[in-house]
Amino acid sequence: MSGNGKVDRRGFMKGAAVAGGATLATETRVRAQTAPAQPKAASPSAAQQAMENDPPGEAEKLTTEKTGSDFMVDVCQTLGLDYMAACPGSTFRSLQESFINYGKNTKPEWLTCLHEEVSIGMGHGYAKVAGKPMAAMVHGTVGMQHGAMALYNAWCDRVPVIVFTASAGPVEDRRPGVEWMHTVQDGAATVRDFVKWDDYPRSLQSFSESTVRAYQLATAQPQAPVFITADGKLQEMELSKAANAKLSIPKLNHPTQAAADANALREAAKMLVAAENPVIIADRYARTQQGVDDLVKLAELLQAPVIEARGRMNFPTTHYLSHWERSGPVVAQADLVLSLEPSDLYGQLNKMRDQLERTEGPKTKAGVKVISISTHDLLVRANYQDFQRYSPADLSITADGEASMPYLIEAVRQEIGDRKAAFEARGQKLLAAWKGLADRARAEAAMSWDLTPISTARIYAELYNQVKDMDWALLQDGGFQSNWPHRLWPIEKHHQFMGGSGGGGVGYQPVAALGGALAHRDAGGRTPISVCGDGEFNMAPHTLWTAAHHKIPYLTVVHNNRAYHQEVMHVQHMANRHNRGVENAIIGTTLRAPFVDYAKVAQGYGAVGIGPINDPKDLGPAIAKGLDAMKSGQPVLIDVVSQPR
Amino acid sequence: MRVSTLLAAALLISAPAFAQQSGDVANGKNHFDNDGCWQCHGYGGQGAALTGPRVARTALTFDQFLNQLRHPANAMPPFEAPIVPDATARDIYAYLESMPKPPEAKDIPMLYATKGK
Ligand code: HEC
Repeated sequence: MSGNGKVDRRGFMKGAAVAGGATLATETRVRAQTAPAQPKAASPSAAQQAMENDPPGEAEKLTTEKTGSDFMVDVCQTLGLDYMAACPGSTFRSLQESFINYGKNTKPEWLTCLHEEVSIGMGHGYAKVAGKPMAAMVHGTVGMQHGAMALYNAWCDRVPVIVFTASAGPVEDRRPGVEWMHTVQDGAATVRDFVKWDDYPRSLQSFSESTVRAYQLATAQPQAPVFITADGKLQEMELSKAANAKLSIPKLNHPTQAAADANALREAAKMLVAAENPVIIADRYARTQQGVDDLVKLAELLQAPVIEARGRMNFPTTHYLSHWERSGPVVAQADLVLSLEPSDLYGQLNKMRDQLERTEGPKTKAGVKVISISTHDLLVRANYQDFQRYSPADLSITADGEASMPYLIEAVRQEIGDRKAAFEARGQKLLAAWKGLADRARAEAAMSWDLTPISTARIYAELYNQVKDMDWALLQDGGFQSNWPHRLWPIEKHHQFMGGSGGGGVGYQPVAALGGALAHRDAGGRTPISVCGDGEFNMAPHTLWTAAHHKIPYLTVVHNNRAYHQEVMHVQHMANRHNRGVENAIIGTTLRAPFVDYAKVAQGYGAVGIGPINDPKDLGPAIAKGLDAMKSGQPVLIDVVSQPR
Repeated sequence: MRVSTLLAAALLISAPAFAQQSGDVANGKNHFDNDGCWQCHGYGGQGAALTGPRVARTALTFDQFLNQLRHPANAMPPFEAPIVPDATARDIYAYLESMPKPPEAKDIPMLYATKGK
């Protein structure tokens, strides 16, 4: 996928074409590297030593020009992977050396991360912006355990990341001690519940086929991470010219995504056209700008309101059919809901009150009809409950939302008949209701304008004011900042917004921002911005070192409410419920004594650190300074002491 | 002169002014900032889209306010008498009433640089 979010098929095909040619290229390299070896002169004392210790006969062979890990690099290079992110680990020492020397550290380029949660989580953010996966490599057992949460987030968010781990070989090849600790029978057992596919290939040919298969599966809808274990013995074993010649790398398949069947779409179109008050809810629907443009077409054709569920950038916030801010009344009045790639259909239609006794009820009126178009049911596992509560639908279409959209539009066109005038009248009403929304947002933003600590509305207004003429892109979903991005910013292009964590694993934000910023850097000329909670930031502040080291510029604004604020509110709820100690919810949830100085933390990691900013009047100049520093390719952090939400 | 004094006297007996008088604003602020109100409603009572509405200069009567504390309309945690006695509630109410008038959007040009609606 290219920078504008469209699928760059030629780019993909180039990768595939290389696949066939890769073994040839390898051959050339093999020949160059196996030129007659020069006899080495051993030092006399070493020779004497050898005579004393070794049985007479052939001298021990200590070096080789080619090992299995070189071939593993060939495999990864044919896939067109741009990056391999890793925190070093001895179980993949041979692979790492092959990537940086044999593979010349290009495509993939090795990225140094300071924690495996970063290696994997940056791939999560990267794939959502670049539209293609990157790879991560994590140390056997311990590195995998570190990376597991990032993998879970990517899984829940249905985003592809190609993850490799490694393991020492069979018993006779393991050194006593730590190699046993870092060796695993079944590398993927810990994470199997939240990867789409995994394998522990036992031969180099298996590695080749499994890695290509893994890539294909990861990128087919619904997308998800995959996990391959690179055996230590395979990595380090000598690979003779003859053995190498027998190996092959299959061509990568690029399957088309599954569109809905024509009958189901005709039925959906009939229901949509017949409805008096249809509403469209879009969650993880749009993968590309085309998806956004198609949804605009459908909404305009039906003159139906769209509710942005913010899993991806689905619909322009400036369009008069964007009614996210009115979602309560819009859903309550709807007689038909069309839900596109929902991560939680039940939650879209129902609510639950969080008091001592939990009570639930519908958000919709009785008799509402529900259509869903989703790949959700194609990838469901039993253990982790991210599949959400079961929700009946009148028409449940298992298919890719974006791939199905052009056909749905066509089906609606054919059904419209004499409904056009009614649709126009509906559109006029929606236009009138939409007109007040921006002023309402401005009025609410004004209420906190001069407050200290600084309000989240002010952060977003000041930011937008300075980036409005740039090709900006937001790297966070803004939910913890009262959704101000969607209320105040004209989010119109697919790359301007990438959704949230998927799994709610805290630490996603700084890590996914790093990956997203990398993809934006490569797309060229963009200004990526991550407004990141302080709790989130503390999970991976060292992302700034990776960004500084690899020259990945982006602006991090720490929404510093000096707390894990969601948890402050949860503990408060419990204190109230138990009628005691309502002033104690800050214990164990706030980051107060001492305050963290995030600007200094950033500087320590080699990034530009500005702040803490306490006075709202200082915010504008701080942002100007930060944006200026970014121009030289540096990551920048501004610490803004802020309101809770 | 005489007229405005009379007017002021008349205002004093209107409901909010009466409440303001009978509540201790400083103590109200102390409780607002320490009993959890700030978490969902913001330090300035400005409200936040997903956690709690604006409460600064509340339009509710004291009885309505107290009723919300004791029997929340929906998601707000209940503040019953053992943790926020009526007298404390009155002080918090007085504090909310005393909050300064916020600026208006029309006076903040920067807000009009945002979403082009
Ligand atoms: C955990 C979040 C939370 C906390 C803590 C909290 N509130 Fe609320 N408050 C809410 C929510 C949410 C509502 C909306 C109504 C509802 O859901 O009950 C609300 C509504 C209100 C309202 C009604 C506003 C209106 O005009 O309708 C008032 C007044 C109020 N809260 C005052 C307080 C005070 C005073 C405190 C502290 C003693 C407090 N709240 C603590 C979340 C909270």
